[in-house]
Amino acid sequence: MADCQVSPEAVRYDPAFSREVYALENGPQIKKCMQCGMCAVSCATRASMNYSPRRLFNLIKQGKKETVMKSNTMWMCTTCLMCKVRCPRGIAIVDVMHDLKNLAIDQGYVTHPQAAFYQAFWKEIWSRGRVFEGGVTARYFLKRGILGEIKTILSMKDVGMDMLRHSRMPLLPPRKIKGLGDLHKIIEKARSQRKEVS
Amino acid sequence: MRYSFYPGCSMEGTAVPYRKSVEPVAEALGMELEEIPDWNCCGATVASGVVGDYTQQVVAARNFALAEPRGLDVLVACSSCFLSLALTNKRFQEDADFHRAANEALAAAGLKYNGTLKVRQILEVMVNDVGIERIRARVKRPLTGLKVAGYVGCQTMRTLPWEFDDPEHPVVLDRIIEALGATATPFPMKTRCCGSSQTLPAEKILMGASREILESAAEGGAQMIVTPCPMCQLNLDSYQGRMNQLLQTSFAMPVLFFTQLMAIAFDLPPESWALKYNIVSPFQALAPLGINR
Ligand code: SF4
Ligand code: SF4
Repeated sequence: MADCQVSPEAVRYDPAFSREVYALENGPQIKKCMQCGMCAVSCATRASMNYSPRRLFNLIKQGKKETVMKSNTMWMCTTCLMCKVRCPRGIAIVDVMHDLKNLAIDQGYVTHPQAAFYQAFWKEIWSRGRVFEGGVTARYFLKRGILGEIKTILSMKDVGMDMLRHSRMPLLPPRKIKGLGDLHKIIEKARSQRKEVS
Repeated sequence: MRYSFYPGCSMEGTAVPYRKSVEPVAEALGMELEEIPDWNCCGATVASGVVGDYTQQVVAARNFALAEPRGLDVLVACSSCFLSLALTNKRFQEDADFHRAANEALAAAGLKYNGTLKVRQILEVMVNDVGIERIRARVKRPLTGLKVAGYVGCQTMRTLPWEFDDPEHPVVLDRIIEALGATATPFPMKTRCCGSSQTLPAEKILMGASREILESAAEGGAQMIVTPCPMCQLNLDSYQGRMNQLLQTSFAMPVLFFTQLMAIAFDLPPESWALKYNIVSPFQALAPLGINR
C-alpha cells in the first residue's frame, strides 16, 4: 500500500494544519473518519484525483499542508453526493471538499483550472445576482489567460456552434436582479459574521 | 396545487427547453406555478467553494424570505438548485444557531425567513401531489413502443437520501415514463454523475462519465434519454458530437427533459415540446409516433 512505503523522509506531523482544517465549517467531521475507504471506491472522479477522499483525510490528520493544498482532489469533486450517501460515519465528505476549495482560494492555491471556474461563477453571482453561463465562460478564459487557453477555445468551437445553432447559448445576459444592492448587503454581513465565528 | 416556482439560472440560458415545457405541462396537470419575484442564484454547488457553506446558504435563503409571505411550497426543477435550496431550508429548520445568524444577515436587507416553507423536487411532486394516475389520465398521445432511459442524475435523489426514493436506484422517473405509455429501459447508470461543471476545466472527466452513461442507455435498448437535470441534459446532449470526434464513438442518442416528453404525450402545442433546442435530433426516434420535424 502506498501509504506504508518505507521512505527515508523523517516522520513529522504538523498539528497546526490539521487544526486549521478542523476549524473550517465542516472540518470537525474529518475527525470521525475511520479510513474505511468506502468513499474511495464510490467516488465518481477518483480516477482523476491525486488522492482519494480517504487518503486526503489521512494527509490532513498528518498535517501535510502542501500536499493537501496543492492536490487536485477537492477540485475534481463533482458534488455527486455518492460519498455522503455511503459514508458509514455519516461524514458529509462533499461539504468538506467545499471547505478545502474555499481554503485553497483564500490562501492562493489556485493553479488548478477549476479554481478559475469557481471564482468566475462567484463573480457572476456578485455582479448580476444570477448566473449567465456565457459570462462564466468569458470570465473563466480571461482568468486563465486567453493565450494559454486558445487551443481549448478553438477545439471547443464545434460544441459552441452546435449550441448557438439550437439557441442554447444566449449571447446577452439576462437583466440584473432588482435587489442586487440588498444581496450585496446580505453577503457582506454573512462574510463578516463568518470571520467572527472562525 | 399551487407552488412558488424557483426556475434557477440555467432555465434562463442553456435549459430553455426545460422552461418552455415545464410550465405548460404543469398547467395541463392542474398545477399553478408562481415564480418567486426577483429570485437570485442559489449558489448551486459552486459558491460554497469560494465563500463557504454559510454564506452560500444565506444567499440561497434570500429566496425563501421573498417566497414565505405566500406560504406555498417551493417547487424546484433543477437538481443543483434543489440541492442548495433543500439543504439550506433543512438547516434553517433544524439548526437554531444557523437560523438566528442567517436572519441577522438577511436583516441587513430588511428580510427575514421563519423557516416555514417546504422545498419540493419536481419528480417528487409529480408522483406524490399530482399522482401517476392523473398523469396517465392526461395522456392523449400514448408513447407506445418508445424505449426511454430515465436518467435521474446524481444530485436529484441524493440530496435528501431516503427521504424520497432510493438514492442509488430510484424508480420515480421510470414510473413517469411508463405512465406516458413508453417503455422504461434497464439503465444501471441512471444516477452516475455526468461530470457536472468539469466541462471547461476538465472535459476528459465529462467525456469519460458521459460515455459510460450513453453506452449504458444504449445497451438497455433506449432510443432516447430523458432527465430532470439541466446540467446532465446539456452535457449529454452537447458533447456527443465532440465525443464522436475524439473517442471514435458513434453516439446519436437524443437527450430530452422529461417534461418535453410529457408535453408530447399530453399533445400540448408543439412550442411546448421545444424540440428545436435539442442538439441531437429526436425526430428519428419520434417518427413512429407520427412526429416529424
Ligand atoms: S467513507 Fe467516510 S469513514 Fe470511510 S474513509 Fe471515507 S470519509 Fe472516512
Ligand atoms: S461528491 Fe465528490 S468526493 Fe464525493 S463521491 Fe462525488 S465526486 Fe467523489
